[in-house]
Amino acid sequence: MTAHLLELDNISKYYGNIIALRDVSTYVNAGEVTCVLGDNGAGKSTFIKILSGVHQQTEGSIRLNGDEVHFDSPRDALAKGIATVYQDLAMVPLMSVWRNFFLGSEPTKNIGPLKWIDKEKAKRIAKDEMKKMGIDIRDTEQPVGTLSGGERQSVAIARAGYFGAKVLILDEPTSALGVKQSGVVLKRIVEARNQGLAVIFITHNPRHAYPVGNRFLILNRGQSMGSFAKEEISVDELTRLMAGGAELEALEHELHSAVSGGR
Amino acid sequence: MSDTAVDAAVDAVRATSGDERLAYRGIFQRMFIRPEIGALIGVVGIWVFFWAVAVPFGNANGASNLIDNTSTLGIMAVAVSMLMIGGEFDLSAGAMTGAMGILVVMLSKATGEFGGTGLNLSIAIPISLAVALGIGYLNGWLVEKTKLPSFTITLATYYVLIGAKLGFSKLIVDQIQVGDIRDAKGHAFWEKVFAAEWDRTKHTFDGRDKIYLVCMLAAIALVVVAMFEMQFSRRQEGLKAAALPEFLIGAAIVIGGIAVLHTTDNVSGNWLGAAIIAIGTLIGMHGFASWRFRPLADRGSIRFAPDVTRMVALGMAGIALAIFFAWKMDANDERDFFFPFTKQGFRATLFLAFGAVGFTLLLIAIAKARRINVMTKSAVSFIALVAIVAMAFFVKSESTSVKFRSEAFSVMLGLGLLVLTWIFVGLLFEERSKVDKGADLLGSRLLGGAAVLAAVGMIVKLLFTSSAEIAAKIPPAKFSMRTVWFIVFTIVAVWVLGRTRFGSWTFAVGGNKEASRQVGVPAARTKTQLFMLVSGAAWLVGMLLAFRLNTIQANTGNGEEFDYIIAAVVGGTLLTGGYGTALGGMLGASIVSMATLGIPFSRWNSDWRFLFLGITLLLAMLANRSIRTKAEGLRR
Repeated sequence: MTAHLLELDNISKYYGNIIALRDVSTYVNAGEVTCVLGDNGAGKSTFIKILSGVHQQTEGSIRLNGDEVHFDSPRDALAKGIATVYQDLAMVPLMSVWRNFFLGSEPTKNIGPLKWIDKEKAKRIAKDEMKKMGIDIRDTEQPVGTLSGGERQSVAIARAGYFGAKVLILDEPTSALGVKQSGVVLKRIVEARNQGLAVIFITHNPRHAYPVGNRFLILNRGQSMGSFAKEEISVDELTRLMAGGAELEALEHELHSAVSGGR
Repeated sequence: MSDTAVDAAVDAVRATSGDERLAYRGIFQRMFIRPEIGALIGVVGIWVFFWAVAVPFGNANGASNLIDNTSTLGIMAVAVSMLMIGGEFDLSAGAMTGAMGILVVMLSKATGEFGGTGLNLSIAIPISLAVALGIGYLNGWLVEKTKLPSFTITLATYYVLIGAKLGFSKLIVDQIQVGDIRDAKGHAFWEKVFAAEWDRTKHTFDGRDKIYLVCMLAAIALVVVAMFEMQFSRRQEGLKAAALPEFLIGAAIVIGGIAVLHTTDNVSGNWLGAAIIAIGTLIGMHGFASWRFRPLADRGSIRFAPDVTRMVALGMAGIALAIFFAWKMDANDERDFFFPFTKQGFRATLFLAFGAVGFTLLLIAIAKARRINVMTKSAVSFIALVAIVAMAFFVKSESTSVKFRSEAFSVMLGLGLLVLTWIFVGLLFEERSKVDKGADLLGSRLLGGAAVLAAVGMIVKLLFTSSAEIAAKIPPAKFSMRTVWFIVFTIVAVWVLGRTRFGSWTFAVGGNKEASRQVGVPAARTKTQLFMLVSGAAWLVGMLLAFRLNTIQANTGNGEEFDYIIAAVVGGTLLTGGYGTALGGMLGASIVSMATLGIPFSRWNSDWRFLFLGITLLLAMLANRSIRTKAEGLRR
């Protein structure tokens, strides 16, 4: 069996005596989407922080192309090809699209010690990369603040792809968006996948995860409820597992009686 | 399949956002989204205002005072703008200028004297620069380490500097002023670097006016061509070369008209020249337009919608009121008026204020009429043209009083001619409704050329005098090295902010520090460098002051930091960071400086200076806010 692009083996994370994550295993391949689902407090953020190098796991191992790796810092993870797009997007709203796209890694030209940004190149690349993502930016000079939430996510995804990310981690990219905007972002995820990126898509919405995902890892209270391929599971089962199955049924029952009692 | 559902959703989004993107901005709308446009309008407006009411604003002497005053303020305003774009304040900047001046004097005082170290200025000056950068570094380091607002940290630095300046002055020389830098070793060389002067009265150049005239006319021609190029849509089938001779004939007629204007000296000759220029302009621009632009198919017929009619009526009422007040009030009454102004100042203010309101309303009417059709827009523009001509003739009839300048007549008639040409061409050719990058690029290059030509013309006119001026005994004017420093500093700052990584990072750390850190921008380093930039600028201003004044007072520069911040904000820099330009800082400095000097120049009661400054600041911030909201275009 060939090695997966990124594989997590029995990852656990303790904060003192608090168990944030216990024995979580999953994997993602190039050109596939692995969705990580969980309700609030399920351990999703801890999971992301370990993958993006903010925290280190207490137990377990991460393998990249079969070799065991350690992410010491976010920069280290980035250098190894793991790009994380956070919910707050790392965008500067008043700056133009192309400046945001290249922020921190601007292409430069120079004469001797004088160095300046190669504006034409930066604009051209930003436009082309956005086009690959299926978004035709009319003017890359327009401030990011004028883009819709979905388009901003797209800029962040395109940026990660351009800067050589092999694995793209998306932290709740659809949570703050309306239905249509979420559609835009989901489409971007599919396109990133088609370009050969491995995508880890973190969400609490199974209806967003199911259409785009190849694998689903379900977390509940820091524990893995299992990792399934798409064929093995339906949307309803996903939803049930996420909420801890029986708990949701109990909640539904309570809600039902509360509503009917109120009438 | 759920994938098709996603596709449908995406297409729906694309369809709506596509429509938004298609909305095309004309040249005037596009100009208004620049951050410094409010300041630019302010500079022109305030200059015209004082030019109309204060004699020194029009001559080289007044201009040299103004430029001199703007230079030191401008260096600081540009640096402070950059720091504010980076999201921080430096309240110690003003006190720092004086402190650096005092430091360099103390370091270079002769050893024999009490407290002097007797260093050569070539050593003392680099030491003071190092100290300045060190203080800037300290400011930045403290702000980064403590995470306290820079407002409080630099407030502390401000008091430390004030105290140190006074304390050390008293302790070492037992005076509240230190000097004299002229006694220092190496003074002759360093004075050239920081305070060399150019005395205009000693440089006579009689070809000056010709160069000025040619430069200005060429600049105007380039601006006109650029505006047409950016506003009208180009022929699809290629250029029509047959129309080119018409353009050349028109240009020749205009040159002939200017020649007539220059060789004749009587009224009928002037009118003849003006008429020839007008005809030549119309013919030439018609030729130019038929060479390049697409003829207009449908111009519609005049339809006055109620809102257009209302705006036109209000605008005309404003202009009528302007003329009425100026006409009714006695032009020879020089008495002080009840409020800040003399009566003449009040008269000019009323005239310009009502005039400005009137024309603004007419511009709004044109914008509204533009949405109906070409004929309506042209008709409303024509009404505005009539108003301009009426104002021009009124100004001419009143120009016997010094308060209204006769030059204004020619300027306004010239403006009227350009509006007429614009209307004429607009009726025959199609305006652009799509993006045309080539035309925009050509247009902006032409505008750049026009700016260079105008600058050359102005510089030649300002630097040289003519025998006629010497005969007329006009007041002398001097220009100093500080202006060169100011211009160089501004150009470098504009380039750094716009084109370098450091510039990009400045905007980023001011706009969203956490986000920029996440993508690998060295946020702390960028901010510290910005603090060092401001203290470096303060050092430069300190040197300029030291070599100008020779002795430095202990309180020099104290409190001026607010002028810098005001200039930056007036120039369109956002108080909370992330938005602004270096050029805006320069323009803001000109506004503050004009507001400060204009009142004594107009011989008004200068007790009211700060009231004027305060109102200017308030208006500028209101204008900037509305412009920025439009620029961001945030859907709220």
